[in-house]
Amino acid sequence: MTSPAIPLPVTADGAGTRRLGGRLWYAVLTAAAAFGLAAWIYELEKGLSSTGMRDVVSWGMYIFTFAFFIGLSAGGLIMASSAEVFGIKALKPLSRLGVLSAAACVSVAALMIIPDLGRPDRILNIFVHPNWSSPLIWDILIISVYFVFSVVDLAVLHQHEAEPTKLRRTARALAYVGLPTAVLLHSVTAWIFGLQIARTWWNTALMAPLFVVSAILSGTALVTLLALASERWAGFSLPAQTKSWLRGFITVALIIDLFFVGCDYITVLWGNVPADRSALNLVLPGGAWSWTFWGEWTVGGVVPLLFLLVPRLRRLPGALGLAAFLAIVGVYIFRIELVVIGFVNPLTQYPPGNAVGTYNPATSSFQLAGHYAPTWVEYGIVIGLVALFAGMVTFGYQRLRMASAPARPGRPAPDK
Amino acid sequence: MAAKNHPTTPHHAMVIDTSRCIGCWACAVGCKQVNNEPLGFWWNRVLTTAPNQSTALKEPASENIDVPWGIFPNVELAYLPVACQHCNDAPCVKVCPVQATFRRDDGTVLVDYQRCIGCRYCMAACPYGVRIFNWGDAEYAPGGAVGYGKDYVTEGHLVFEPERPKGVVEKCTFCVERIDVGEEPFCVEVCPMGARVFGDLNDPESEVSQLVNDSGGAQLHPELGTDPNVYYLPIRKRVASES
Repeated sequence: MTSPAIPLPVTADGAGTRRLGGRLWYAVLTAAAAFGLAAWIYELEKGLSSTGMRDVVSWGMYIFTFAFFIGLSAGGLIMASSAEVFGIKALKPLSRLGVLSAAACVSVAALMIIPDLGRPDRILNIFVHPNWSSPLIWDILIISVYFVFSVVDLAVLHQHEAEPTKLRRTARALAYVGLPTAVLLHSVTAWIFGLQIARTWWNTALMAPLFVVSAILSGTALVTLLALASERWAGFSLPAQTKSWLRGFITVALIIDLFFVGCDYITVLWGNVPADRSALNLVLPGGAWSWTFWGEWTVGGVVPLLFLLVPRLRRLPGALGLAAFLAIVGVYIFRIELVVIGFVNPLTQYPPGNAVGTYNPATSSFQLAGHYAPTWVEYGIVIGLVALFAGMVTFGYQRLRMASAPARPGRPAPDK
Repeated sequence: MAAKNHPTTPHHAMVIDTSRCIGCWACAVGCKQVNNEPLGFWWNRVLTTAPNQSTALKEPASENIDVPWGIFPNVELAYLPVACQHCNDAPCVKVCPVQATFRRDDGTVLVDYQRCIGCRYCMAACPYGVRIFNWGDAEYAPGGAVGYGKDYVTEGHLVFEPERPKGVVEKCTFCVERIDVGEEPFCVEVCPMGARVFGDLNDPESEVSQLVNDSGGAQLHPELGTDPNVYYLPIRKRVASES
């Protein structure tokens, strides 16, 4: 696995933190990252018993956040590459931001796996004794390739930006490689779950397409948010035409995403196979995890669609940003639902169920239906890594001078 | 034990006669003792089921063990002891990224405690829920390590140590240190009803071969194609009760 906690290639001058706001931003991010690091050290000391995971729900927040960041990453690159491959001129201003976001996301995703390991000290075993039948090995391979690719792509795009005639063909060729790589990255991550016969909730051929479309959705939404934030605070110029392409991208991806989820529901509901139904019943209204259903279909579904499609709503200032934000929230909830329900839905209906793996006086060592709630350690590490992501994007944005030309050094952020 | 009149490597298998199981948990407790399993760990457990339900299709009668299905006097109750099924096509072996979980030629599926990175993919992949992770420092009942008490290495892998390290996955080993010297797994030895039989499926004369072939030994979740080496004999109908 790559350990890419390094800043992106630096070619520019060090015109970095000039303003107080910038310093404050970095201070907050540093504090959050330090908190995450402290939480990880605590976890190393105590073992994974400091998390909310146990034998019944044996993967939790690290894994669904990992899958979420992989999606954000793949989506960012898919959007950036599409600009070249499909010749969408309006998206070109976002190419570098998309690739920067992709590189930062995939780094954070790779790092997210490490606190999930019981024995991070043995991580090199992955290279010493790889088992090629494991989707996890293929995922690590594609993550590594993808990280290297996105860094190279970013460097090339940066050069191309500086001298538009130079490296034009290379940038174009990279886009043709980047698009399938990004699709593959997310498909392989989907197969970690989708190929498993043990858990019917995961075992569907729709998993990879669903992951890819939700990646395009969340990745595009993230680049939209980054672009809007840069426009607001860091002198990025976002043409109206680009915004309307982003709106279109998000709308179509969201509709296809909900369609795929609906396809899975109808297959399970009509078939009525008990093991499949018991998983879906946890999610549908009335189930113990129905908040994920509502989160996905209302907060991350209908509401953003209204702000994207209804003419009166979508003309409101901030409508696109709100819709993008809610779509990201919806995809995150989908990731939670996907990973956790696979475990919560019991493998056996028979008491006493499965052993939990830790001892608590006066409570059973067994669980029939699994329970899961993350602890502060898990929140802490995730918050720290999100801060790392934000720091990488801010740093990259400044160092690679992504702000539009007139907005360069010394100029205060344009007020809207 | 199996007769030794054939040259091939043994193919170890276990047959559990559910007609004989009384749900006493001696196998589960014996397993805990011989393998020094910490508090909260169960490599082996006894599920309360209805007769001849090999898969989890029926709603449980209760969240508690030993509660029968039905209304008195028409009640039914059976038990299903479940530990690692030692699958021939084991999902855990396929998903382990570092080959820490492996299958020996005799059919035994084992974990190398020195190689496991603790990713727990095997626990996600196992359809039988028999794998246990060492979440933190193990807690033991007072009195020190019990059971086999030594490290055991096979084919260059450390597959048993009296106290497993924090952060690795463990599970039933078919008592590999015992079967390699011709003894039976401990659960077979301690079962007071003689419900468990262990032996060599490659030997057509062995008791396990005969039970599997002639008495309708069935695997758990046969539809998944994992091809376990643990077989269950169905409940044989008794004389209908007079009413």
